[in-house]
Amino acid sequence: MKGNKIKIILSGGLIGILAALLVKFGNPLNMGVCVACFYRDITGALGLHRAAVVQYIRPEIIGFILGAFIIALIKGEFKPRGGSSPILRFILGVFLMIGALVFLGCPLRMILRLSNGDLNALVGVVGYIVGIIIGIQFLKRGFTLGRSEKQPAISGYSMPAIAIALLIFLIVAPSFIIFSESGPGAMAAPITYSLIAGLIIGGVIQRTRLCTAGGFRDAFLIKDFHFLWGLLGIFTFSLIGNLVFNFESFKIGFEAQPIAHADFLWNFLGMILTGICAVLLGGCPLRQTILAGEGDTDAVVTILGFIVGAAFAHNFGLAASPKGVPDNGKIAVIIGLAIVLCIATAVVLQNTKQRKLLKEKKGGQVNA
Amino acid sequence: MTFHSTHHSLIFEKEIKEKKIDVRLMPVPRQVSSSCGTSAQFPCEKREEILKICSDLVIEFDEVHKIEKQCKGNWFSKLLNL
Repeated sequence: MKGNKIKIILSGGLIGILAALLVKFGNPLNMGVCVACFYRDITGALGLHRAAVVQYIRPEIIGFILGAFIIALIKGEFKPRGGSSPILRFILGVFLMIGALVFLGCPLRMILRLSNGDLNALVGVVGYIVGIIIGIQFLKRGFTLGRSEKQPAISGYSMPAIAIALLIFLIVAPSFIIFSESGPGAMAAPITYSLIAGLIIGGVIQRTRLCTAGGFRDAFLIKDFHFLWGLLGIFTFSLIGNLVFNFESFKIGFEAQPIAHADFLWNFLGMILTGICAVLLGGCPLRQTILAGEGDTDAVVTILGFIVGAAFAHNFGLAASPKGVPDNGKIAVIIGLAIVLCIATAVVLQNTKQRKLLKEKKGGQVNA
Repeated sequence: MTFHSTHHSLIFEKEIKEKKIDVRLMPVPRQVSSSCGTSAQFPCEKREEILKICSDLVIEFDEVHKIEKQCKGNWFSKLLNL
């Protein structure tokens, strides 16, 4: 077990170091890797939202998908599957994204923000954990999105194919693809560096199954700390990486942190929403991306949810900015919490009923 | 034992513990699957008993594997594939 622990810490560490390096080579501060932000940028590049400062086809995402795809293929773990409540996953994906864009980062960026001294992320971590604990309560009471079924091989290739299409768009840069000329969307490491870092991270996570939601979930649900050690690895090594490579930008505090706001309540509530969605979906945005590369078409549907969520977030003025959280964003988080809790409760109620029926039907001879 | 959903593993743990059998939930071993779900561990000699309980109480599960400890790490060999 000891060897396992070191392995997971080091794999997390590799992600942390790569994230710090990506910032050094040009990615926005504290955003070496942010799955939510990067999908948001891709959404913008495709013209699905028109926030001019956050539009870019992030090669990291392409790398995650293809890295996971290639490793899964080599190891015989590429399994096209799906059909586990796709529409519920889509809706959860939409609200996960809205929660993340109110906080300004996915759970991974939350860890990276914390490792560069942004204490607002600490508020986010607490929110995320509270969200996960709420999600766990539903799991305990019977929440499940149902099992996935084997699907035709071609469906499993859909996400890798989308990734390759995006890569072509990025390189050819046709006029209908929009790239930011200023703002975070214009800050990016060179394509090859980003792509290689993405491929490495994608491969590592496919092998280790590291997941920010899974880490906290397992710690609370089954008292297993394997993945939590990996998250600690990301934090520690990203901290070291930031101190070594990006020392001039390192500062501890709440105010004037890069691409962040200091609105405690909405940092907290945004991450609660993200945490609940992540547990109900069975994985954080990063993990969903990897699963999509492995042939999980339910994860692909979830990602489509992220993209629509990102488009809504900017088209309807929900997304936060360093200036703070707009009113629309606050309303959206509240609505999101209500809808997500409704979905979870409805599934729990139905499953409890079904299980009781099954037990009554078969339990007679056992319990007599 | 692996499951299709985390919820099933929790039902399993609850029901089996009521029968006073020693079970422990843990992440699915890497050798078995690339998923990040939960699985349950129990003593091999209880296997038949546990399978019977599962079918009696309609507890859904995916696969049962045997954990074999070797000098270098764990090796999981597939015993049963439903």
